[in-house]
Amino acid sequence: MDSSASVGSPLAVQTSGLTKRYPLAWKRKVLVALDHLDLEVRPGEVFGLLGPNGSGKSTTLKLLLGLIVPSEGEARVFGLPTDSLEARQRVGFLPENPYFYSFLNGDETLRFYGRLCGVNGSKLEKRIEELIDLVGLQNGRERPLRSYSKGMLQRIGLAQALIHDPDLLFLDEPTAGVDPLGSSQIRDLILRLKKMGKTVIFSSHLLEQVQEVADRVAIFSLGKKVLEGSLDSLLTEDRGTQVHLPAQLSPDLQQRLRQVLAGAGFAERDISFTRPRLSLEQLYLRTVQSQPDLASNDSRSK
Amino acid sequence: MISSLLRIIAIGRNTFTEAIRSKVLSVLLIFALVLVGCSVLVSQLATPGLDPAGLIDEQIKFVKDFGCGAIGLFGAAIGILATAQLIPQELHNRTIYTILSKPVRRSEFLLGKFFGIVLLLTLCVTLMTLAFAAALYWQEQQGVAYADSIYGQTKNWQADQGLLEHYNHDVAEIHAQVRDPRLVEAILLLFTKLIMTCGIALLISTFASSSIFTIVTTLMIYLIGHMEGTARTFWLSHGAETNLWQSCLVGFISLFIPDLNAFTIVDEILAGNNVPWHHTFDLIGYAVVYLVVLLSVAIVVFDYREI
Amino acid sequence: MTGLPRTFRLAMIVTGILLVWAPVKIVWEQRIAREQDLLRYHGVAMTRHLRDELGQGLTIGVLSGMRSVVADLVWLDVTNAWMNQEWFKMGGYINLCTALQPRSVTFWDIGGWQLAWNASVAAAEDPTQPYELRRLKASRFWIDKGLDIYTRGIENNPESWRLWADTGLLYYQRLALEELRRGQPQAAAEHFHDAAHYYEQAVLRPNCPTYLERFAAYMYDDAKDDQAAYQAWRSLWEKLTPEQRLMKIHFPDRIESRIRALEQKLSIPKEKRVFPN
Repeated sequence: MDSSASVGSPLAVQTSGLTKRYPLAWKRKVLVALDHLDLEVRPGEVFGLLGPNGSGKSTTLKLLLGLIVPSEGEARVFGLPTDSLEARQRVGFLPENPYFYSFLNGDETLRFYGRLCGVNGSKLEKRIEELIDLVGLQNGRERPLRSYSKGMLQRIGLAQALIHDPDLLFLDEPTAGVDPLGSSQIRDLILRLKKMGKTVIFSSHLLEQVQEVADRVAIFSLGKKVLEGSLDSLLTEDRGTQVHLPAQLSPDLQQRLRQVLAGAGFAERDISFTRPRLSLEQLYLRTVQSQPDLASNDSRSK
Repeated sequence: MISSLLRIIAIGRNTFTEAIRSKVLSVLLIFALVLVGCSVLVSQLATPGLDPAGLIDEQIKFVKDFGCGAIGLFGAAIGILATAQLIPQELHNRTIYTILSKPVRRSEFLLGKFFGIVLLLTLCVTLMTLAFAAALYWQEQQGVAYADSIYGQTKNWQADQGLLEHYNHDVAEIHAQVRDPRLVEAILLLFTKLIMTCGIALLISTFASSSIFTIVTTLMIYLIGHMEGTARTFWLSHGAETNLWQSCLVGFISLFIPDLNAFTIVDEILAGNNVPWHHTFDLIGYAVVYLVVLLSVAIVVFDYREI
Repeated sequence: MTGLPRTFRLAMIVTGILLVWAPVKIVWEQRIAREQDLLRYHGVAMTRHLRDELGQGLTIGVLSGMRSVVADLVWLDVTNAWMNQEWFKMGGYINLCTALQPRSVTFWDIGGWQLAWNASVAAAEDPTQPYELRRLKASRFWIDKGLDIYTRGIENNPESWRLWADTGLLYYQRLALEELRRGQPQAAAEHFHDAAHYYEQAVLRPNCPTYLERFAAYMYDDAKDDQAAYQAWRSLWEKLTPEQRLMKIHFPDRIESRIRALEQKLSIPKEKRVFPN
């Protein structure tokens, strides 16, 4: 299915005045979990939902998945009502904590969810092989899910979300509790999905990771969307200029530059020279990835 | 339609797999099989000093009654326990979110869950019936051996036509009681009653907040269901003469609680009485229609439930 | 409907379904109950008296649909009471079991035996009772109790050959032979006739053993009612097939011998005899 954005093609997600209220028993009060959300996500975008706990991100996801009914407003997925089977056929969902049956093993889990999505027979078996390879779960596929680590559960979660080749993916905290190597693999997978033309909507507390993959983000607070836009437009500051050089400047050269800038009207205190820093994740990945292939040498996986 | 059926079957198989991999239910089933088999121990408490026919009569009655009683009791325990935790467990573990985020209707989810319970009960009742058949077979062999020993006390008894006639009749009676094809009817009625009880448990679990509530309420309805006939008779004949509250209560029971006592004709079959098949099918038909109503209401309630 | 609050819509749909089903349910259940009444199923309804007799645990057992198991558990008390020679208690338990499961022939069959044989013989041989007449009266009391059990058993299970045969045996062994022992042939003859009647009825019931067919004839013989005995033996002979006569199945020799003797005794004209020679 061609899900690339073009004139006239439906938006991947479109909400209008979407509201969810929960009446609180005995207190005669109403909790407004989501307050008149207007949101548009274009096909092929990677869209991040940010916000503190209880800000309405999960409620938004549940409404878009048709798991709960809105109190007001409307939501559509590729132009279809969110509670329709057709909409859910085009959607894949990775829940925050893996909500799977712990008594099933990896293969059985994918087989079960595949059947629910109408994928059967040899097509299903082929798809299971593809996904097991994609998420790197060859060694754990025959073990029950109760023996899986957090990272393995996230992988199987991704696999079941992709089992029916959906056009739109909802990922709720996809890298929560996952080690940095696993996180980066999930991040790479999201980018790969984007290249395939999939739309990805994900929520996360790890802002640096959101920054690396998202095209656009929305920030929620107390049930309202307070900010929305592309990362470039939101993050670029108008004040200030950064200069990057591939080598260190000597103290002498630094002093001469200060004098030039002071002559141009900049105050001493506003001029600073710093050395570039790696992020801890970059250092970790550089260190770990330089080691020999872990999977084939790990005797635990035999 | 076909795809809907396939989804229901997929959920049903998953529910069945979860149940048989559950330690609690497995232990319960093993216990049930042992108890069904132990019904032969109760038969040893039969009245001593009776002639072979009378003694075997009593012993086989004990084995049939206790064996089928164990099937009914444990079938109900397994069915109610398994059904009561279906929805709460899905909600608590949030596995329901992953399923309903797929192209699965809530009705298909519920019907699939119930189908899984039906599969589970079919397996359990089949296994318990096999244990019951083994117990009956053992009792049959014991009975024939006892008849041989009693008649064998008379020298050359096989040459005595009179004794031979008695012996042949006694042994034929033993075989007829044990290999009674009407026992199939009894098991079928037991199974039907169990499925109805699970349907009640499923309906309650669609709006209950905990498994305990579902179990306790289902057990209460199960007991009241055995008195529904009495309540109905009273309400239809004297309902207008009693006070409003009493009339409403009895009326509620008569209108909505199933008549489970009708299924206790299993006891009549076990006692050797003939229950016509058309009557059995009438009861099964009643149970099926009642189940359709229960599941329809359950689907509607579950559809409206916030998860 | 779509504009109404969700809870209200839910209540309307559920109420609608139940309102359609409720009258259908009542009618259907009434029909099933009527048919079960005609087929004489179920024991007595749970009453306060029954609840008191059973106790709480067994009452719940009955209410859970385990009536037959409860009846069997009470039946075990019958054996205990017999072992302890607590005859009235035993009689109470027998009544309770038959009330719970009136369509179980076993309870009537063994219950009647317990009362008419075990209890009555114990009463007749009661070492604590010095007066013979009182012992006989007590013994007769239990025989009547046993007879009552069989009579009610037959009312509830008219198609059971066993209960008819048991009653015949009671009249024969406990009444007729007792009267003979006490030198009362007239009274004995009446009881022999009663026994014969019950054996004849037993033979008419399904699955009756073939040997019982001869018992009525024996009873008429013992009653010295030659005419009735002759009819009985003659009908037995006429029932036998040529193969059965040839293979000596069902005692054709004995039947022939009795017919010949009775034809001689009753001076039956030769042309009307079964065995004219």
